[in-house]
Amino acid sequence: MKKLYVVAALLSLVGLADALYLTIEHVTGQSVRCTIISGCSAVLSSPYAVVAGIPLAAVGAAAYFTVFSLAILTLFGYPRAATLVRAMVITMFAISVWLMYIQAFVIREFCQYCLLSALITTALLVVTLIVRHAR
Amino acid sequence: MKRTLPFIIILVVLAVALGSAWYLTRTIPASPTTPVTQQSSSPGSPVAQQQKPPVVQGVPGADPPHVLGPADAPIKIEEFGDFECPPCGIFHPILEQMKAEFGDKLQITFREFPLVPTHQHALAAASAAEAAGLQGKFWEMHDLIYEHQNDWKKEFDVRPIFEGYAKQLGLDVERYKRDMNGDLVAQRIFADGKRGHSLGVKGTPTVFMNGREVPFENLPAEKLRVVIQNELRSSGR
Repeated sequence: MKKLYVVAALLSLVGLADALYLTIEHVTGQSVRCTIISGCSAVLSSPYAVVAGIPLAAVGAAAYFTVFSLAILTLFGYPRAATLVRAMVITMFAISVWLMYIQAFVIREFCQYCLLSALITTALLVVTLIVRHAR
Repeated sequence: MKRTLPFIIILVVLAVALGSAWYLTRTIPASPTTPVTQQSSSPGSPVAQQQKPPVVQGVPGADPPHVLGPADAPIKIEEFGDFECPPCGIFHPILEQMKAEFGDKLQITFREFPLVPTHQHALAAASAAEAAGLQGKFWEMHDLIYEHQNDWKKEFDVRPIFEGYAKQLGLDVERYKRDMNGDLVAQRIFADGKRGHSLGVKGTPTVFMNGREVPFENLPAEKLRVVIQNELRSSGR
């Protein structure tokens, strides 16, 4: 059980790094401008990349940090944190599904870092579901 | 200790995350803070008060260049663009708006900077515009390609679409098709690319005003207008 929360913490750290990178790219405009190495310009320059003036990637970074913190608290014996981890991850997964839909059918461009984030969220969901069934 | 350890771990991760974000944001050169989107540009948002970048010369681009506006205009804008790049498509009407507002005070030069292989049709689009240019209709084709960016960029083969634009513009289509694949068009695109590289252009749109790069964050209409007004003031016009 505990090992699974270590996995969840590590996954959310990777997610945090990914979301932070996207936030920096967004804020500095490096990905928003088209470059030879960028695959994210269409996605990051779309109106879906900002929520109430805040880059969605920054919201994602905050979410991953929250999951990391809750996973750590669970590991150290805060039982309520486990419920919050599950609620957070389910919400994040639902948002990820919505964002994948936006990328596939509305913007019709995929940003590889957003795909990585969706993959991490899916892995987090799998981990939390295993924890629930292991009880 | 066991009670405080999780909070220490959390705080350390938070500090590392914020610290690296702060460091990376500061170390990225000429880092713009706002994307070129209509949504992001609020009228009251301040124009970046950065130190004026140096005037750059670079190697010459395609000759003659595609220029709009009088040669003695106090504001000379040179845009490096890629027809398939979404921010360039967004920037196109902004530049049109500036042209309408500032009229003869503005001279605009367009340089080809197709990002190959990021954009699969960028080179074909640049070639189409250049081929139309050989028949004196560069700007008309430039406008059509940008305005219909979303119509063609997802297509597998864009050449028939661009040929349709050529017909629409009344070009000699057979000549246009020959020119599209001809040396002259290829040389012009190459020359513009070479000029872009010599000026340090890394992406599109990159805009120079009177030889100085305009920071990316200043490209939304509200900010670009202020940048132009400031430049006009400093040139005494």
